[in-house]
Amino acid sequence: MKTLGLIVSIIAGAFLMYGTIDMPDWGDPNSPASIHVSPRYITNTEVETATPNMVTSVLADYRGYDTLGETTVIFTAGMACILLLRRRKDVRKARR
Amino acid sequence: MDFIIAKYNYWIYIILMMIGFYAMISKSNLIKKIIGMNIFQTAIILFFVSIAYKKGGATLPILTHADAHGEHAIQVAGYLNPLPHVLMLTAIVVSIATLGVALAIAIMMYRKYHTLEEDEILKAIK
Repeated sequence: MKTLGLIVSIIAGAFLMYGTIDMPDWGDPNSPASIHVSPRYITNTEVETATPNMVTSVLADYRGYDTLGETTVIFTAGMACILLLRRRKDVRKARR
Repeated sequence: MDFIIAKYNYWIYIILMMIGFYAMISKSNLIKKIIGMNIFQTAIILFFVSIAYKKGGATLPILTHADAHGEHAIQVAGYLNPLPHVLMLTAIVVSIATLGVALAIAIMMYRKYHTLEEDEILKAIK
């Protein structure tokens, strides 16, 4: 079972390494990720949101609904932890 | 040689990711599986942050001279790409949430079966 897992992970890693041949070079300023969408945020963040920190303006202003959903994720995870780890009264009585 | 220098960071993250993947598949201890899942998520976060990097004197995506009138022209090549950073901030939050719930479920299984080894739990279920 362990050798099977090793073989599967090596094959998956080899496929991913084959995929990096088409990736842009590391730190290339003309890579598609840095010329297609992000210049609009870099140039307009000061005019539109008056926030010098672009990460903050994108997180809390442009993608505010995403951050709202993120807080929902945190709330759900916290509720799940509390509900799982809560010691119920009947369980405690049954153990005694 | 140029090819290796241009791509080796991706290879490091792929190796890290496969270490986590192997731990998730073939370790039988549940805590080790959770650690493997965290290594996997960390590899993805490092990969996205490395995509954001630009060579040639780019600084952090914080404007150094803030004026709302647009007097200074903003050089796009002078700032790192902010979008992968934002997405990874969200991914860190999700990884913390999954880690918390996974550890809570592991505690529950330990309370019920008094072990964290997967084969012993499967035996106890049967």
